[in-house]
Amino acid sequence: MIILLILLNLILILFFPFIMLGIIKKTKAFWGGRKGVVLLQPLYDFVRLLKKQPVVSSTTSFVFKLAPVIALATSITAGLFVPTVMGFSIINIDFAFIVFAYILGLGKFFAVISAMDTGSSFEGMGASREACFTSLIEPAFFIIMASIGAVAGFYTFQSLNVFLYNADILGLCIIILAVVALMIMLLTETSRVPVDDPATHLELTMIHEVMILDNSGCDLAFLSWASAIKMVLISSIIANLVIPYNLPFGISIALYIVLLMFIAFLIGTIESAIARFRMSHVFEFVFAMSAVALVILSLITIRIYGG
Amino acid sequence: MEIFFIGILLFVLSGVFSLFCRENIKLKMITVLSFFASIFAIIPAFKTLLLGLPEGLICNWNGVFGEVPFVIDILSAFFIIIISFVSFLGVLYSNGYMKPYEGKSKKFASHCFFLPMLTASMLLVTVVQNALFFLVVWELMSLSSFFLVIFEDDKKEVLSAGIKYLIYMHISVVFIIALMALMSVKAGSYDFETFKTIFIEKPYLKDIIFFLAFLGFGTKAGFVPMHNWLPDAHPVAPSHVSAIMSAVMIKTGLYGILRVLLIIDKPTALIAFFMLCVSVLTALYGIVYAVTQKDIKKILAYSSVENIGIAGIGIGVGMIGMFYNNSVVTLLGFSGAIFHILNHSIFKSLLFMGAGSVYLKTHTKNIEKLGGLIKSMPKTAVFFLIACLSICALPPFNGFIGEFLIYLGLFGSLKMDTSGLFILIILSAAGLALVGTLALLCFTKIFSITFLGLPRHECSQKVDADVSKTMLIPMGCLALLTLLIGISAPIVFVPVSCSVADFVGVQYFYTDFVAILSVLVKLFLCFGLFILIFVIVYVVRMLICRKSIVYNTWGCGYDKGNNHIQYTASSYIGPFSSIMTPLFKKIFDVKKPKGLFPKDAHYNSSIEDVEEAYLINPIVKFDEKFLSKFERLQDGNIQHYILYGLIFLILALVGVVFLG
Repeated sequence: MIILLILLNLILILFFPFIMLGIIKKTKAFWGGRKGVVLLQPLYDFVRLLKKQPVVSSTTSFVFKLAPVIALATSITAGLFVPTVMGFSIINIDFAFIVFAYILGLGKFFAVISAMDTGSSFEGMGASREACFTSLIEPAFFIIMASIGAVAGFYTFQSLNVFLYNADILGLCIIILAVVALMIMLLTETSRVPVDDPATHLELTMIHEVMILDNSGCDLAFLSWASAIKMVLISSIIANLVIPYNLPFGISIALYIVLLMFIAFLIGTIESAIARFRMSHVFEFVFAMSAVALVILSLITIRIYGG
Repeated sequence: MEIFFIGILLFVLSGVFSLFCRENIKLKMITVLSFFASIFAIIPAFKTLLLGLPEGLICNWNGVFGEVPFVIDILSAFFIIIISFVSFLGVLYSNGYMKPYEGKSKKFASHCFFLPMLTASMLLVTVVQNALFFLVVWELMSLSSFFLVIFEDDKKEVLSAGIKYLIYMHISVVFIIALMALMSVKAGSYDFETFKTIFIEKPYLKDIIFFLAFLGFGTKAGFVPMHNWLPDAHPVAPSHVSAIMSAVMIKTGLYGILRVLLIIDKPTALIAFFMLCVSVLTALYGIVYAVTQKDIKKILAYSSVENIGIAGIGIGVGMIGMFYNNSVVTLLGFSGAIFHILNHSIFKSLLFMGAGSVYLKTHTKNIEKLGGLIKSMPKTAVFFLIACLSICALPPFNGFIGEFLIYLGLFGSLKMDTSGLFILIILSAAGLALVGTLALLCFTKIFSITFLGLPRHECSQKVDADVSKTMLIPMGCLALLTLLIGISAPIVFVPVSCSVADFVGVQYFYTDFVAILSVLVKLFLCFGLFILIFVIVYVVRMLICRKSIVYNTWGCGYDKGNNHIQYTASSYIGPFSSIMTPLFKKIFDVKKPKGLFPKDAHYNSSIEDVEEAYLINPIVKFDEKFLSKFERLQDGNIQHYILYGLIFLILALVGVVFLG
């Protein structure tokens, strides 16, 4: 059973990202009144990129070649800590969310310096924005995970499921707020609208996409895969907050997959419905997560210690 | 213990001998003697740490100090090891770094004399257990570091920074004197051992003693708002001196606080929470300013403030654990702090050495003029990158372990139930997370602007080769250590936790120790897994595409991109500094182009420390205004001076007769 779950986890972490990306594309096509590409088009793109020979800038150093590898390795490693179906994660240790956040931080460090390595002003712009926006996300993430862990009494990722299990009305409010906060994190970390628009081709307005302007071939494939894995990871955290852990296996897996698809659909809908924010408004959007996290903290304090 | 004194003696002797030998062999001689001296100092420290038995020696200086006990207990043993080790590497590094100054600077001899004296005095600070003698060696340490800082004293900013440092140290020493005097008077003896008895009857003394210690030792360590000497003194000192000062000397301030805590034993709630809050503020303040600076060594100095704050959070957590009698939290907090002190002494000295190598080759500390050095100085660049990764607390390097332990301590103390504590702890954890991510912003900036991209100025263009081997070897050792300590954290945790066993109490120590060790072992396995995945991905990458085409950087259709088109340090932190504007005092130096044929124009912006601008400078200005009224007293007439002396003596006599 455990081996089955580990395999299932690995498959979900490694290959579900393509399906999520496909659904986002399909959704956007649907709202745009188009037929759209096939669902697995992101996977085909990925394979096509792997076959291409990369072009490397003469300005760059070993950092540029190392960064995609580290980005992918950190995303996969971070995935081992995250629970997917039935609250099962491959590695289950206390305070996994700290390791999770810092391992992803390593990937981000290299993504940023590899963008700076090219000496391009556009990529510097993207690196600067990415490093600044995402640095404001992490404290809020810590507040949410720590306070939810405090209610559950322990700090593995499983505390997410336990939290729902004995939730009252106050608890439900907390869960809804946490989902909202994590959605903001999802949109920022994976650079989707309204923070960043991955479909635009105007370099000046981009964040993540402009950082990988110079990457091509397998490097580009690795970087986009790593970014897509991140999307599945954060979605999984949201899913575990919402799905109870004591359901039968079949229902649990079905719920999980439906929920992830729904999140992808939601992202696609957001991208079709609103335009990306002006740069100065992005800060407000990112700070909104911190505000929500503080509300969660005060609600949880009330819950634990009474009014 | 006698071996330890042989070590100290060797340090002092190497300083004295250096006065009598030729300039070109001075540093070599010091290096050789320091090597043996460090070994002699480390041996008894290791013995104490492994066996857990304090070693002591009592010298009898009747009349002056009374009985002076020298004790290597497990806390000081830990500090002895890092001080000797880092100082030796610093001295080794100075062989290469000081080469250009040999025979050219008048200060060279004094520099060579005070370098081993600083190490000797730092070592003595950690073992002396007598209040009066402690003050003497403490002062010796401050003075010898002062003389090392003002090495290039023909430059105006060097001298003014040095004097600022001296003033800060002497204001701080007033508090330490008050602290030692208070404890000595109450206990009736100068011996640290006897100080413990004074709190039995008067527990309210704990607060006073701690705040005095915080003001005194905290200035040395660099806690906000007494941190202001660091960002001035570190940039002007020679790099190996900054490395030694930042990596180990400011830690003696933390040692002082820990020693006072051992004397106080169980802290009150006030001082425990105060320590936690002020440390979080220190860490945030330090890193916010580190992000905004342009001078490479100033960035590192502010980041030292940040790291002292992080270690302080650990101490604060440990104190909260002591207050609530929670031994696990106590152990986690203090061992996290000690682990972070160890880590910081390694990666910060590495960073300062790297900065020194860059300075030696380019003759500038302004990172806006640097760039592309990874091509000309590849080894330095790799070492610097490792240190940057480690200081951002990224796994699997050592910086992560210390912060992880502190997080564990913070979340462990959530189980103690008051709602105020709950909110404070979670906000502190969030603060620590914010410090971590801002460190990432800061060190991606410093690394990428200095080493990556294209050279931004002539000075970084003409660098032809990496620095010499005597400078690369110490950096290599330190870089290797950051990785080794990170991976073998469960092993390193044993001596680290032992050094704080006194805080926890022996009866609880063992079970808590095993519990934490098991977490670290799991972490070790995770790191192993990460490295495995990394290797697999790397091999796959190499197999998929072996060849690549080299071409220009994509300029979005513009193919005349040059080095001026690149992002600079200021533009890199632009988004950040725009949201943090209220926290800064921005200074603009602008000269606009005028007329039809404008000749010169410039624009320069810099960010000044608000604490200095709005708190220190007004006080200094007021002081100057007030004291200048007394200028007339100093009229150069010797008879008047004798008269002042006489008046003072009469007043003193009257005072003694009437008050005494």
